[in-house]
Amino acid sequence: MPRLLICLCLLPFSLLANDFDRPDKTALKQAESHSRFLTQTTFGPTMKGIGALSHTGYSDWFKQQLVMPATLQSPLIDDFSIVGEHAAGMAFWQNAISAEDQLRQRMAFALSQIFVISDFNENQLFDHPGAVSSFQDLLIKHAFGNYRDVLEAVTYSPAMGYYLTYMGSEKGDQATGRVPDENYAREILQLFSIGLIELNSDASPVFDDNGNTIETYSNQDITGLAKVFTGLNLNESDFYDEEGDLLDEVFARFDLDEGEFDEDFDGEDEEERLEGAIESLVFTLPMETFEDSHSNLEKRFLGLRIPANTPAQKSIQLALDHIFAHDNLAPFISRQLIQRFVTSHPSANYIERVANSFTKGVFLLPNGGKVGNHERGDLSATLAAILFDKEARADRPSSTFGKVREPILRFTAWARAFELENVTPIYMFNLWDTSANTSLGQHPYRSPTVFNFYQPHHIALGTQTGMANLSMPELQLVNASTIPSYINFMSFFINREMRSEEYIEAYQDFMEEEELDLDINLVKKSFYANYSLERRLASNPKALVDHLATLLTYGTLSENSKERIRDAINSIPLSEKQRRIEIAILMVMTSPEFLVQG
Amino acid sequence: MYFNRRAFLKRAGSCAGASSTLATLGSALSSFELMAAEEDDYKAIVCVYLLGGMDNYDTVLPYDKASYDHYTRLRPSLMARYGGDRKRSKLLPLSPKNADAHGDRSFALPPEMPNLAGLFNAGQAAIIGNVGPLLASTQAQSFEDESVALPKRLFSHNDQQAAWLSGSSSQSRYGWGGAFTDPFIEKATNINPEFSTITAGGYDLFLTGKQAAPFQVNPEGPQYIHALKDAQDNRRLSRLLKEHLAASYPELEGLVEQDVANSFNKSLASNKRFNQSISRFENIKTLFDEGDLSQQLKVVAQTIAARNQLGVKRQVFVVGIDGFDTHSEQANELPKLQAELDLGIANFYQALTQFELGSQVTLFTASEFGRTLSVNDDGTDHGWGGHHFVVGGAVKGKAIYGQIPKIGFDHPLDAGHGRLIPTLSVEQMAAPIGRWFGLTPDELAKALPNLANFSDRLDFI
Repeated sequence: MPRLLICLCLLPFSLLANDFDRPDKTALKQAESHSRFLTQTTFGPTMKGIGALSHTGYSDWFKQQLVMPATLQSPLIDDFSIVGEHAAGMAFWQNAISAEDQLRQRMAFALSQIFVISDFNENQLFDHPGAVSSFQDLLIKHAFGNYRDVLEAVTYSPAMGYYLTYMGSEKGDQATGRVPDENYAREILQLFSIGLIELNSDASPVFDDNGNTIETYSNQDITGLAKVFTGLNLNESDFYDEEGDLLDEVFARFDLDEGEFDEDFDGEDEEERLEGAIESLVFTLPMETFEDSHSNLEKRFLGLRIPANTPAQKSIQLALDHIFAHDNLAPFISRQLIQRFVTSHPSANYIERVANSFTKGVFLLPNGGKVGNHERGDLSATLAAILFDKEARADRPSSTFGKVREPILRFTAWARAFELENVTPIYMFNLWDTSANTSLGQHPYRSPTVFNFYQPHHIALGTQTGMANLSMPELQLVNASTIPSYINFMSFFINREMRSEEYIEAYQDFMEEEELDLDINLVKKSFYANYSLERRLASNPKALVDHLATLLTYGTLSENSKERIRDAINSIPLSEKQRRIEIAILMVMTSPEFLVQG
Repeated sequence: MYFNRRAFLKRAGSCAGASSTLATLGSALSSFELMAAEEDDYKAIVCVYLLGGMDNYDTVLPYDKASYDHYTRLRPSLMARYGGDRKRSKLLPLSPKNADAHGDRSFALPPEMPNLAGLFNAGQAAIIGNVGPLLASTQAQSFEDESVALPKRLFSHNDQQAAWLSGSSSQSRYGWGGAFTDPFIEKATNINPEFSTITAGGYDLFLTGKQAAPFQVNPEGPQYIHALKDAQDNRRLSRLLKEHLAASYPELEGLVEQDVANSFNKSLASNKRFNQSISRFENIKTLFDEGDLSQQLKVVAQTIAARNQLGVKRQVFVVGIDGFDTHSEQANELPKLQAELDLGIANFYQALTQFELGSQVTLFTASEFGRTLSVNDDGTDHGWGGHHFVVGGAVKGKAIYGQIPKIGFDHPLDAGHGRLIPTLSVEQMAAPIGRWFGLTPDELAKALPNLANFSDRLDFI
């Protein structure tokens, strides 16, 4: 009880259950504003977080987040061996919901939807969750750094090399007609840096004299750039000699008895096990360059000429510098980042202001503090510009403002809002793969293609936003199949069905099959919501609904919705506290006011 | 309660043996011929996806003695594992109209596929020979040299699956099933566009178009909202929940909120309409075996039967079975799958016949690749070109379209170990189906961009 009071004391007393007849409007508005800020900057507001912001202020909060130690995913992979290939996704769930460095995690998540890799459909990345998590760790580490560094880290990443098929790409051979792989050359331009058409600094298209848009690159540019990304491959030279045999010192280096290997190795001899472990390891190390396979021709693209015989690393450096220098970069990236945090169809002026901060590499916070080190491409300055822009901080500038919450963020909002016993996704079957449209229709790092879960310019035909020509990417995931699935998915967690007989039995069967010796209580505690605060409000529908409205919708829940939810609560006997809470939460989380972040 | 452990379909149970014989199928078939032109201009395409890569060699088997004997000599360990089950006398010979296209060679289906053999010989099914992802006409030499454009990551399951279903193994967002229905959605031919493309589980890419978004149906029963079911004991709560989920919010100013609210109430209405519409055709379940594929095709048949209530004239469906990646135990596993495939298709056409829709539905099989001719003791490895079936009253059946290459190694169509280099691209198989479906040449070109790389057009439907 005392701890709870301390939390709540950060809010004015009048917000507590006894005194809802005359709420203190200013305090409520403040709490709502904090809740909104946290919705934009974290994976979901918490009562504690809302309270803390009253003392800290947004500028200082932002600065604190910048210097907080980064929570990585790779260290978690071994702990998640039970779920096998789903480990990278579990690392995401755990960190998104519990890590302290929320802003960094949100930024990395946003970057992962631009620099897309995926283990969809059980490709080879699926077999190497360590590769996926290492890649994500690059984004996490560089989240507040510079875009140029992200571009480089991604280019040398074996996960990306595999995913976009340039790992092992060979220089061309005139005799046979073989040419370098063009996949990465194409996608790095189309998706990771400049896009398809020339843009103004506010991301509006540039038009030629005939009123047509202007393509940023031609097929010739792609062919030229493709030569740059040749000769990259897994860094195996530390482990194998030229004939492909394991080096002697590797056996010594790897202590085979220390359980560094996956439990699935059975019946394989030591050398095979070792090779398997090395394969997993090299998928987490930056790729090496092999000059024999690297094109020694002149490489030309977008007006840059890399002279013949320029070695691989130098060629890559020159190419990335040139791409980075393109004028499209600032508006192209800024618009997408705004979409990930604040609104789906930002105004031209908003984009321009953010692009300006990207270019200048610096942003002045409301409290006068400075963010960024004046280098073009500074991501912390860009993010500050996005979050502190007047359009982000104002109360709903216009009816076209806002974004549909993507399914992953809807779920994490619930997980963070209500104190869970344990955030342990490996005990939740439902979280292992949420990609199907009978589930959430979205799973971390498992989008169907490199084009992410949705397109930045998606316009939903037959809708109001569509008629207004607003891009609404997340609407791509809202359809007749995903809607009932989402409701059912949330019901399982809200209603704490991990404690149902069926679920416990299913998990016990799984443990038996896999011969795991786990405490079944850990399953019962996993994602179990105590609802301790809500239980105190369960007999007071108005208090309960208002509390949920602040916590989950930062006050946007309409009077009509509130009335209907109160009526629903009242239709359930007082003695059934749990049920009253469950219904209230489900109704809030299925309201348009929750589903749309505005 | 549901756990979503895998994206792929699980086989609910095996099915051994066919419950329908050629004789009963014969009587069903005669009503195909009796069928007059339908009043309603409805058409559906059904893709049966065979996950894993179905062995072409062990499906369309050589039947003339010389070829058969040669085949058994090239796959001794596998034939030994079959015991007598693939004896020549047990095979089901095919009698194609165009037998001379293959000279002295003739072909047969395995004993597990009596219905497909029957449909073929009766003119209701055709075989498309040696089809697979291609970007340009390819032969062994150009394949070796990489001097022609090749699909990316040949021999990789998910990449070739994408290539089959979307025309590209590199990151396509749309499948040709979805692309085929886009024009009908745009022209409002389908009054309720949400029912245009339907999956019984997975393969969403195939059904995704610019407009088309796959609608999920569940062979185990309709998708219902658990919270509504749980509230059934409380009338007031029940009413309020339903109101809440179907509400419109005129007071909300935001367009985004309006769209979300509309999506919710439309989707609830769609699901309700769908569940009610197909429940009227519950009785057809007696025509279907308990096996996984039959159950999926059952729900497809119900959906087709309910087409008027659903307000659709053009639909594309996808169903699938898993298990064809027979690196080992091929002699045990493949026959079971072939039996399931055979029975599923038989059940399906029997049901369609009852509704006199046999000519308005075209079913085809697809699989990411065929397999190697060489065996690794008791199984085979990933191939490339495969042989597939197209079934339906509109099909010009009793013929093999394309080539069934001579069985052997080191010939111009050998991509190594007897993997066949396709002589037909997937687009060449899809295009006639699209034309039958009602697409204009422009619409077809848009849906199948690589079609322009190939000049030959098949005439099987």
